[in-house]
Amino acid sequence: MIRKNYFKNPGALKIDLMLRGAAIEDPVAKARACGATGIDILLPKKILVNIPCEDWFTVRSPYVIKKSAGKKGYILTNGSDSVPVSILDRPEFYSRKTATGVPFGDIAVTHGSYTVITPDKRCGFFKSSAQCRYCAGNFSTDAAENGGRVYTVEEVLETVKAVLKEKASGIIYLSIGFSDGDDGGIKFLEPYVKAIKSHFNCLVAVEALPPASNEWIDRAYAFGVDSILYNLDIFDKELFSVICPGRAGLIGRQRTLDALKYAAGIFANGTVASHLIVGLEPPGSTIMGIDFLTDSGVVPILPIFRPSKDRPLDVTDLDAEVIIPVYRHLYKTLKKKGINFNWVRDISMVTTPVEGRYLLNDEKSSSPFLDNFYESRLGMKTAWGLSAIRRRLRVKKIKKEDPPEGSP
Amino acid sequence: MRVEIDRRPIWVILAGKALRPVFFLLLALGFILFLQLPVPEGLGTGGMRAIAVFLLCLVLWVSNAVPVAITGLFAIVLVPLLGVLPRGATYSLFGNEAVFFILGAFILSGAVMQSGLSNRVALRLMEKHGGSPKRLIISIFLLAAALSFVMSEHAVAAMLFPIVLEISKSLKLRPGESNYGKLLFFALAWGSVIGGVGTFLGGARVPLAMGILKETTGSTIGFLDYTVAVAPLVVVLLIVGYIVLTRFFPVDIDGVENAHKVIVRRARALGKVRPREYAVGLILGITILLWITIGKTVGLAAIAMLSVMALFVLKLVKWREIEEYVNWGIILMYGGAIILGTALDRSGAAKWMVDAIMTQWAQTPITVIALFSLLAILLTESMSNAAVIAVLLPVSIGMAGRTNMSPEVLTYVVAIPAGLAFMLPMSTPANAIAVSSDYISVRDMAKGGVIMFLTSWVTFNLMAHFYWPLIGLR
Ligand code: SF4
Repeated sequence: MIRKNYFKNPGALKIDLMLRGAAIEDPVAKARACGATGIDILLPKKILVNIPCEDWFTVRSPYVIKKSAGKKGYILTNGSDSVPVSILDRPEFYSRKTATGVPFGDIAVTHGSYTVITPDKRCGFFKSSAQCRYCAGNFSTDAAENGGRVYTVEEVLETVKAVLKEKASGIIYLSIGFSDGDDGGIKFLEPYVKAIKSHFNCLVAVEALPPASNEWIDRAYAFGVDSILYNLDIFDKELFSVICPGRAGLIGRQRTLDALKYAAGIFANGTVASHLIVGLEPPGSTIMGIDFLTDSGVVPILPIFRPSKDRPLDVTDLDAEVIIPVYRHLYKTLKKKGINFNWVRDISMVTTPVEGRYLLNDEKSSSPFLDNFYESRLGMKTAWGLSAIRRRLRVKKIKKEDPPEGSP
Repeated sequence: MRVEIDRRPIWVILAGKALRPVFFLLLALGFILFLQLPVPEGLGTGGMRAIAVFLLCLVLWVSNAVPVAITGLFAIVLVPLLGVLPRGATYSLFGNEAVFFILGAFILSGAVMQSGLSNRVALRLMEKHGGSPKRLIISIFLLAAALSFVMSEHAVAAMLFPIVLEISKSLKLRPGESNYGKLLFFALAWGSVIGGVGTFLGGARVPLAMGILKETTGSTIGFLDYTVAVAPLVVVLLIVGYIVLTRFFPVDIDGVENAHKVIVRRARALGKVRPREYAVGLILGITILLWITIGKTVGLAAIAMLSVMALFVLKLVKWREIEEYVNWGIILMYGGAIILGTALDRSGAAKWMVDAIMTQWAQTPITVIALFSLLAILLTESMSNAAVIAVLLPVSIGMAGRTNMSPEVLTYVVAIPAGLAFMLPMSTPANAIAVSSDYISVRDMAKGGVIMFLTSWVTFNLMAHFYWPLIGLR
């Protein structure tokens, strides 16, 4: 099969690179930047991408990253075409440690504009072998078995301080797996979010499981969560129950959709999101998922399924030509329905809706000034300030037994 | 802590939030502008400033923009600051007898509740007389009224509320739907309101009125004199109130066996009367007796304070227990109201207002009584009872010379109607507590309240016209 050349379109190039990975010729760069989750590079138009770079993944990839001849820096080439790229250094804080001796790099991983912290890496679905079949093995049943442990609020605070000091990213993204209880993990994350919010002026996104009642969604918003993600991952009903048996059985697809819809009515426009993993279901089904979620005001985020040696799930090879129309549809739908997608930008692990404009050659519709503003520190601070003001205006705290009002 | 997210469009929320600063800005501008206006003939600069403070407090009391106590502070601070009264004289008004009387009344009623005496009396009476649906309603209605003769009506409503709530639950009455549920909570609220006007002790407004009367004219009203003057109104309102309630909300249950069981169970759980209850009851009885007999000569506040001292000397109460029953906000508000009343009087503003405004409509005693009582009843629906007194009483007392009426009568004309709030939950905490049960809606309250409003106004005027001359009040 003759593959298309994507070098002229950085949006499409990002997708192809994520699907196929790239070999790294320079051993120094490889050692310095390539980790288990791939290597973060910056393509033209400041498009950030995380590319698989482990040898077993990239054997069939035409892409190579190598030193630019005679110039400083690197190029990405397929042998005939090339573009200049820069390799993002591993954040410095990765190599430092908390006061308790835990490397910050174990606690947090930066992916462009956001840094993921998972204070408790256990997911209860593993206990009953009901885990999502594509799930990375780092969410194990037992912390002790995994050699990991639950990070304390203090450790997380130290980490966030290091992230923000280095300006590694402006959004802290807390994630949690399944646990017993009807709160979807929000109760566990509450002290972390509150501590981060009371110490730092940064945005906090939370990826949790949908809670049984909407009160937890209200509460999450009230105590400081700026953006929330309940991942559906697979829109197709049957595939969802086969691939995510735990979530289908204990939470339910309908509850996930309901919780997302409710959250979209509480949180600011464009701050409620849900993953739909491209490659785990037919593209048509993902498109239906996009339509459904956007009808509820939710931003679909479309990561590409990335096979792993440790994961049992195997899917047929994906082709960029098949999935690019899905991203185009996402971009057009979000624009048509007036859903703000500026929150989800500069993420190396997924093609963001903002990047969809390159796929549709719709670059003119965006303003470089606004783009620069959104990406700047001032833009981040503005987003944080607006989010804080919105919360102050919308949240009413009511004591359970408030006495009736009355004049003396 | 429960959270609620306001989902209205953000501009609506913002507009709501902006209202407050805009309101205060306009108020401040209005206040300053008023002070710049030329002083009318017959009114001095002090009078003009006193009126400015009076209008400012009036707006704050009516709008409830700040707690009533804080509005009191506005008066306390602005009167000396604007030079209406000297600083020392202003703050000394805070030591008024009425302030100490109400402090004593709060402590006494706290002691009665804390000892469990009031609860026991309530349960015993309901156990004895609450055998059928109608009798249960009557006993709650009369009990709330009777208790409000000796305790603050707010305290009575708060004390009976859990009992009435438990009764409605035991009868499985559906909130918002059951007529009997509505009857129970109306009996609680209106019983407290009607009883509250019966004596000095039902609320803080009568002592406040007495305080203003004393500061401005030097005369006082006796405990018994007041009760005798108001008694027919209380009787008529209790009868009409019961008729109105049972007409509007006919009894829709067959029996009250379950409720009766609850009352019996609660009453039994109290055990035998403890010495502390006897002692507190005895002190309260002696206090009331002394108020009736030597109140005028010794002063009501002195008797109240002596009783409070006795409670502590005999170790019947602890300060920590009593503290929560003392509403310091009201005491602060009182100070403010008395200062405002005195400022209006001493600066000549009250007299000027009477001359300028009231003379046109209120020429004869009949029209004066009709007008002031109507104003007091209307205002008390949206303002705190005590605030109504603070606003209207200095003006009404100012009518004394012009109409040949005694200042005492002009005090009654405001002080009694100011307690007759039946229509709205914000009128008085007793109504608010009843509405908070969810058995009564604001609409229900307004519906029955209109009739009570008219009845109380007409009855009050008839009483003033025909009954008061018989007891020497003219
Ligand atoms: S919920 Fe599914 S995807 Fe998330 S951690 Fe658990 S198994 Fe993995």
